[in-house]
Amino acid sequence: MKIRKGRRLAAAALAVSTALTVAACGDDEPEQASFDKITVMTRLFGTAPDPAGELQQAIEKHIGKKLDITWVPNADYGDKLNVTLASNNIPDVMAVDEKAPAFVQAAQAGAFWDLTDKLDKYENLKPADERTALNSSINGKIYGIYRIRPLLRSAIVIRKDWLAKVGLQQPETVDDLYNVAKAFTEQDPDGNGKKDTYGLIIPKWPGPYASASPYDVIETWFGAPNGWGERNGKLVPGFDTEEFIQANRYLKKWIDEGLVNKDFATLDSANWNDPFVQGKGGIIIDVDVRANQLVDLFKQKTPNDTDKVVMVGNMKRSDGQKFSYPFTGYNNVLAISKQRIRTEKQLEEVLETLNKLQDKTGSALLTNGIEGRNYKLEGDKAALINQEDPAVKQIQNDVDKAFVQLGTRASVGLGQYAIKYPDEVSQKLYDQRKPQMEEELKTAVHNPALPVISPTLVQKGATLNLIIPDARIKYLSGTITEEQLRAEVKRWYASGGTQVAQETNDLVSKLPK
Amino acid sequence: MATDLVPGVAPDTRKTRRPRLQRVAPKNPISRLVTASRHRWLYLMLLPGVAYFLAFKYWPMYGLHIAFKDYIPFLGYSGSPWVGLKHFEELFTGPDFGRLMANTLILALLTIIFVFPAPIVVALLLNELRINIVKRSVQSLIYIPHFLSWTIVASLTYLLFSADFGVLANAIHDVVGGQKTDYVAQEGWFRPLIILQLLWKQTGWGTIIYLAALASVDTQLYEAARVDGAGRWRQLWHITMPAIRPAIVVMAILTSGNIMDTGFEQIWLMTSSLNRSVSEVFDTYVYYIGITQGGFSYATAVGLFKGVVGVFLIVGSNWLAKRLGQRGLY
Repeated sequence: MKIRKGRRLAAAALAVSTALTVAACGDDEPEQASFDKITVMTRLFGTAPDPAGELQQAIEKHIGKKLDITWVPNADYGDKLNVTLASNNIPDVMAVDEKAPAFVQAAQAGAFWDLTDKLDKYENLKPADERTALNSSINGKIYGIYRIRPLLRSAIVIRKDWLAKVGLQQPETVDDLYNVAKAFTEQDPDGNGKKDTYGLIIPKWPGPYASASPYDVIETWFGAPNGWGERNGKLVPGFDTEEFIQANRYLKKWIDEGLVNKDFATLDSANWNDPFVQGKGGIIIDVDVRANQLVDLFKQKTPNDTDKVVMVGNMKRSDGQKFSYPFTGYNNVLAISKQRIRTEKQLEEVLETLNKLQDKTGSALLTNGIEGRNYKLEGDKAALINQEDPAVKQIQNDVDKAFVQLGTRASVGLGQYAIKYPDEVSQKLYDQRKPQMEEELKTAVHNPALPVISPTLVQKGATLNLIIPDARIKYLSGTITEEQLRAEVKRWYASGGTQVAQETNDLVSKLPK
Repeated sequence: MATDLVPGVAPDTRKTRRPRLQRVAPKNPISRLVTASRHRWLYLMLLPGVAYFLAFKYWPMYGLHIAFKDYIPFLGYSGSPWVGLKHFEELFTGPDFGRLMANTLILALLTIIFVFPAPIVVALLLNELRINIVKRSVQSLIYIPHFLSWTIVASLTYLLFSADFGVLANAIHDVVGGQKTDYVAQEGWFRPLIILQLLWKQTGWGTIIYLAALASVDTQLYEAARVDGAGRWRQLWHITMPAIRPAIVVMAILTSGNIMDTGFEQIWLMTSSLNRSVSEVFDTYVYYIGITQGGFSYATAVGLFKGVVGVFLIVGSNWLAKRLGQRGLY
């Protein structure tokens, strides 16, 4: 009988327990701040560094404080951020997507310090670029120090040997690129006598619309706004333009003709490089750093045969006009939580520490490593050394996969010192980035709505954000027609998009010019 | 648990139940206390269980009230403003509700039709096996998949059914011909794949409870039936089935409470942009809204709604089972 009662409880509890999955914890008083230690949370792209490791020790010595860092794998960062925001353990300093609804709500409720006028007195925290600082704000208010990124990183990586095999030049227009993809699919570029290759590799894209996906980049080439753009004096979302449809019509042709991997809707983005290195596909539209990643992977496979990667920039439209896809110039901000940092004085102490972390020595530690251990300075370049030594390899790994994510003044793609690679191929691809970026910035299509986030989107983002990316993929795969794609855009407006557009226009017009 | 569910040889459960009820329900409070103190060690043993349920099942329900608030963690439970039924209104009038309900119910229905009876059938088949070693090894082999995580099952599915490198997909293509089908990316194949996964993973495990019920059937009954000239089918129908019927009923009631639980991990892992219109169910929606988007209050409202429906379904099916003359869950 006891069992039966237990079972009754169990059954009832079972039924209700699912309702509790998101119920959060209580709100206890946190311990008073002890300032020999700062807690930090940031993104991780490999394995977490050892807190007692050489690099962390060197950094702690430099800033004069202990660091307690929570390393969160990049793929889970958004989830973990939301869970952390609902907990009693918000780290003092955390890298956050400042437009994520949960962060916007928390910041506006006062969970994080408003740093709008507070950064100017710190030499290394003062925004280097006002426009980027504005972009990284929430409707003009700065809640964190932006982590700098190159202003333009988009690039196309192509199999060099395949291009030579099919006898084509490096593409310049969207039509050239189509021809390359067609040749990669039909002219047996790997020479094994079988038609088992294709052109473009696209993974399942985790982000929403306008999140630097290959789709977003191609749409920009066709002249569609990047995120938001002005049409008839008003800001409209990029997907509500004719160029958006044209671009997707173009890409659909690729997919219909088998020039794209068949599993483009399901391929895990962590495996994006695999088909390229395995010789299945020959084009990746992504960021410039991927070219070097791919060279490294080829090097691992066959050390002497690495000259297989060529990188080109954004494509021109058929009529010769060029629209380049820029990046935002930053990625996430370092926000300072009020949970433990209660007073202005404490805040100053944290900012002081961060200022030190981002100074020249600090930035070099975060983005290059320990001089004399994993690199040595040759002029103004960091030449990688001792890379075969396991201990040094560990330092290099800790820099590239982890600590670089704490840099704000120098960071990914913009290290304190430019890298000098041991091999020519990597060096060439690395050196190509800067001039390519400077050239393409001239034709870059900027998103005027970056600094703002509409309240309706904070509320209804969950429903709204999926409509367009899903419809786009469905159209491309042939599940829905062009008419239905247009209808989905209308559905976006009807589900709350109309308010979002209205609010975005209002908020942008109120921004400081 | 299994032995408690099976009434052994007594086909009419009501008769055996009445005396027991009289024994445990004394009339006045004092004699109740006396009974309680007589069984004090049993009550003591009950304590950890009760504590577990209080701490991990009932206390967290306190957090449910954020479904009626605009919960912002920084402001805490007390600081967040009350908003009444706003989130429920949003759910019921919003564009997602119909689709979520339909997807959840269709999956539940398919589960009841295809997945629920499978262990019963397999258990009956195993029960007819005469060589014990075969029976045992088959039984062990088919419940191995239960121990694999959904992540592995989903990966296997992708490896077998994707258009590019799917072994099974290619094999089917070789036989059937025509256009290559990308089973994992197609909307229409989402539900069949989910059901196949469930069958593969859970059927073997599910047979255990029925096999236990079958094991306790008195073999004399079969002997007597054979003497009376009953064949295999007759024995199955008149002896085996009545013996496991209570187990089936209990399992059915438990399943009905879980109708709205479509299994978060499994669905989440199989979801992509192409099949979201059929794959989004309450579980994945709660996760998406609550964890990915940080809409804690709205997600809790959705979860609470789901939980309440679950309670009604359990109570309802228990009532139905009793009306049909079966022993219910309570």
